[in-house]
Amino acid sequence: MSAVRRPQCVVIGAGPAGLGAALAAREAGLGDVMLLERDFELGGILPQCIHDGFGSIVFDQVLTGPQYAQRFIDRVEAAGIEVKLNTMVLEMRGDRRITAVNPRDGVFELEPASIVLAMGCRERTRHQVMIPGYRPAGVICAGAAQRDINIEGLMPGRRVVILGSGDIGLIMARRFTLEGAEVEGVYEIMDHPGGLTRNVVQCLHDYDIPLHLSHTVTFIHGRKRVEAVTVTRVDENLKPIKGTERRVPCDALVLSVGLIPENELSKQAGVELDPLTAGPVVDERMHTSVDGIFACGNVVCVFDLVDWVTQTAERAGRSAAEYVLEGGRRKRRPPVRVTAGRNVKFVVPQLLREFDREIELFFRVEHPERAARTRVLVDGEELYSRKAKMVRPPEMVKAGADPGGARRELENITVEVVTEEEEA
Amino acid sequence: MKKTHNYTCINCPLSCSLELTEEDGEVLEVRGADCKVGQKYAVEEFRNPRRTVSTTVRVQGGVLPLLPVVSAAPIPKALVREAVRTLAAVTVEAPVADGQVIYPDILGTGVDIIASRRLEAGVSG
Amino acid sequence: MARNGVSPLSLGPEKLPSRAGLVVVGGGVIGCSIAREATRYTPDVVVLEKESDVACGTSKANNAEVHSGIGEDAGTLKQKLNVRGNQMYDEFVRGLGVELKRQGLLIVVTQRTIPRDGGMPEEERMELLTRKIPAGIVAYGENAGIRGLRILSRDEVFRMEPNVTREAVAGVFDPTYGLISPYKLTIALAEHAVINGARVFLDTEVTGFRVEDGAVRAVVTNRGEIESSLVVNASGVFADEVADMAGAGGFKIHPRKGATLLFDRQVTAEYVRSSVAEFRLPGQRTTQSKGGGAMPTAEGNLQLGPTAIEVEDKYDTSISAEEIEEIFERFHYLLPDFPRDALISAFSGVRAPTLEEDFVIGASEAVRGFVNVAGIQSPGLASAPAIAEMVLGILHDLGLPREPRPDFDPVRPAPPKFSELSNRERNRLVREDPRWGNVICRCETVTEMEVVNAIHSIIPATNMDAVKRRTRTGMGRCQGGFCHNRVAAILARELGIHVTEVTKDGEGSPVFLGVAKEFLGGGTR
Repeated sequence: MSAVRRPQCVVIGAGPAGLGAALAAREAGLGDVMLLERDFELGGILPQCIHDGFGSIVFDQVLTGPQYAQRFIDRVEAAGIEVKLNTMVLEMRGDRRITAVNPRDGVFELEPASIVLAMGCRERTRHQVMIPGYRPAGVICAGAAQRDINIEGLMPGRRVVILGSGDIGLIMARRFTLEGAEVEGVYEIMDHPGGLTRNVVQCLHDYDIPLHLSHTVTFIHGRKRVEAVTVTRVDENLKPIKGTERRVPCDALVLSVGLIPENELSKQAGVELDPLTAGPVVDERMHTSVDGIFACGNVVCVFDLVDWVTQTAERAGRSAAEYVLEGGRRKRRPPVRVTAGRNVKFVVPQLLREFDREIELFFRVEHPERAARTRVLVDGEELYSRKAKMVRPPEMVKAGADPGGARRELENITVEVVTEEEEA
Repeated sequence: MKKTHNYTCINCPLSCSLELTEEDGEVLEVRGADCKVGQKYAVEEFRNPRRTVSTTVRVQGGVLPLLPVVSAAPIPKALVREAVRTLAAVTVEAPVADGQVIYPDILGTGVDIIASRRLEAGVSG
Repeated sequence: MARNGVSPLSLGPEKLPSRAGLVVVGGGVIGCSIAREATRYTPDVVVLEKESDVACGTSKANNAEVHSGIGEDAGTLKQKLNVRGNQMYDEFVRGLGVELKRQGLLIVVTQRTIPRDGGMPEEERMELLTRKIPAGIVAYGENAGIRGLRILSRDEVFRMEPNVTREAVAGVFDPTYGLISPYKLTIALAEHAVINGARVFLDTEVTGFRVEDGAVRAVVTNRGEIESSLVVNASGVFADEVADMAGAGGFKIHPRKGATLLFDRQVTAEYVRSSVAEFRLPGQRTTQSKGGGAMPTAEGNLQLGPTAIEVEDKYDTSISAEEIEEIFERFHYLLPDFPRDALISAFSGVRAPTLEEDFVIGASEAVRGFVNVAGIQSPGLASAPAIAEMVLGILHDLGLPREPRPDFDPVRPAPPKFSELSNRERNRLVREDPRWGNVICRCETVTEMEVVNAIHSIIPATNMDAVKRRTRTGMGRCQGGFCHNRVAAILARELGIHVTEVTKDGEGSPVFLGVAKEFLGGGTR
């Protein structure tokens, strides 16, 4: 085995999070940044997201996924960041020792001064949502189908039923249709769509694809290849209602039933995870519980806007650079836990250690609410307030807080949603 | 003759249900909008709905078998399917530059279809 | 499909041989065990399998258990062959490159074994639960010839398995119980048989037999006829139909389905160390099965199950919502806070019991040369070595050579597994061939070379599931989401077919239904 290399920063994963973090670390003064990517090219999931709707915050322009990725790829190449493609990290330890493999270098080890985790997320499978029936060919997750169709040029179905109305499910309903397949319908167990209204309108309404709310798939038929699915209406407790079953002939079932942050490496390294987000607990610098290991993007929590992934990535990359340039010697102050207040399910970052600059807080609400106001309270003082006509769980909300020039000591920070009614 | 058309506003999470009434193409009224943006959206969806088209075209000699493409501007909604079908017959040669025009003036709309990434020459698969 | 049946790479021409010394019908663990044992005496053995791979029936969808025999009724052939089979196992798998892990079975006696409200004085009840029942279990096992059984106190139960219910009062540990991957074992046995001269024909379905003068003369298949005067019927759930084709039947298989839930091994690796089963009195069993248990698979995933449901269709490997709930409910008592969310897969297999519920093994009285090996359900995997031994005895009597071959090769080389190697060994392989450094399946760390090796192995993997059984591709958390197209592409390349011809598990199960633009009239394959 060759000698152990000690880059200043290793970024694991080269999707939007990894690209943004590597660039930010480089631009913040690190000369030796290494980017590890398991695929044959940079970009992560973006190259397969050929639809538009990316970049309105970061670039003030509406781009497709590949376009958004291309801008970062061009910059990464120009910045002279060392990229290792086709590279799989096999192990990451809490002392920041990384073991990886690729066809060119074989198995190699790295001991970087800092690490940024940017592994993204994976899709929930049929068993995690417990769909009974057979196990034929033709049951596929929406993101995997997207890759098949847009990258590999292969059609995983011709008459398709989609379960789950998350954005990927909606986008794939349109994509299958435009490729000449028939989408029989989209079925959603909840009584409201899981994705953005824009996607319901432009992916389903535009193509007359029915959306069946309060429905789920209760059986997969077909021993060799999907032949049909049974769809059933569910009651308010999401339990299938007997007698409402309908058999829908189809040759593929496409699942859009949620995403899970990919944290197997984080667990190996002993990084503390938040059970609510399934991602690392991070502070305002995107620093995890393990010294010198930072995290950003969907590995932290599943974002719905790539622009926000980029924002967390830039923060993580800059923080990693700061950490390295300070020699890793800065004492980490004891954290204050950010409180998820009224109608707030979770907040990222979960911890605040140093309130010495403006912070960004990303959160999801627990339930939809009209005429709401989101606000951030620091020791009772309202440092942020913004009105929203409506807040909904599928749409992440961003808030901020500014200490006002100098470091501010604090005991409590709370993010909450209040309504006009309550305030009146 | 008076006719009504229903739309769902996409401009904010409120997702207002809009009902537009017209007579011989003349918009008489938009109901259900919580704000002016919704009002305007309904009129636009009625008069001239447009969509950005994104799809893929086949590539020869590239590192991937397909190239993602996008319309440089939105085109009339009614032409989207036809545009995608037209592009299904297109094959380009790698390498392709990001932003390269793949199909000029799609269906006489004056809008170009452009590559939405760079694609190197190579062997796919 | 471009390639059916035998692999042109390693098994010679596709044509069936015109005759064979012994024909084994069925490439499950029993058929392959018998074939492998037969090659110790003669290379002239043919195995016929109607599916696209060996181990495609019950052998791929069971709980991997090598039971000790303690759960079987005394005096049955089942119990006799199970106890003997378990004792033969280490020798049986030697040289195959498949590991038997004897991690033991913990039988837990709980409060509900004798419910409190049954009217029995508490002292008497506890005496039964903590002493008499465990002692009875041990005595029963010892009487059947099972060695090493040990009574455990409540504390010892918890020390051994900390996640078991606090309702546990005592236990019995059965150290001879083990786990082995049933499909890896079957594949290894088939390959070992081929190494020693046997030929395995896949996608080859028996459609009849030629019987003359009360003796079997030939086996008729969808691909032609093979003359043979010795036939073993090891066709699992179809054993009754196959026997009837020869006029050698007289028993009925009634398929009984069993569903098992499988959990992420990263989450559940340490959840139970041995297998854990709850002791139930005969009257408390809800089904014909022994009640199943919680056990790690040979690879370390926790599994719960199986259920036992009589079905009509011998191909019914579906799982119902009720079954899934039943399993969760059943094990909620034994393992109160097991990680339900770590569920990654569920599978179902069909058992092949006869009405008598015992093994049916013997030479047919109606048709000379025809041997039935039927009714093999749990503990069939554990009994396989003893079943093969018994069948070989019968075959010798029917004319199979008795003299062991001096040229029998005792070793079936197992291909290297990247994830199990040291970094030094990994690097040596990558230098040899860079495909060893290309990780295809991220969840299970399977490299391109392992997939290629599986496709070109002695029993070639010609579809996604066959590759999965040999390499674990797609078996992890993402269930193939990330790797399915990469495995499909490698299969297409190595088999010289178009990727749209790649199947999940043989004919009728294409992974893809077309290429992009094809449905728009613009694409060509």
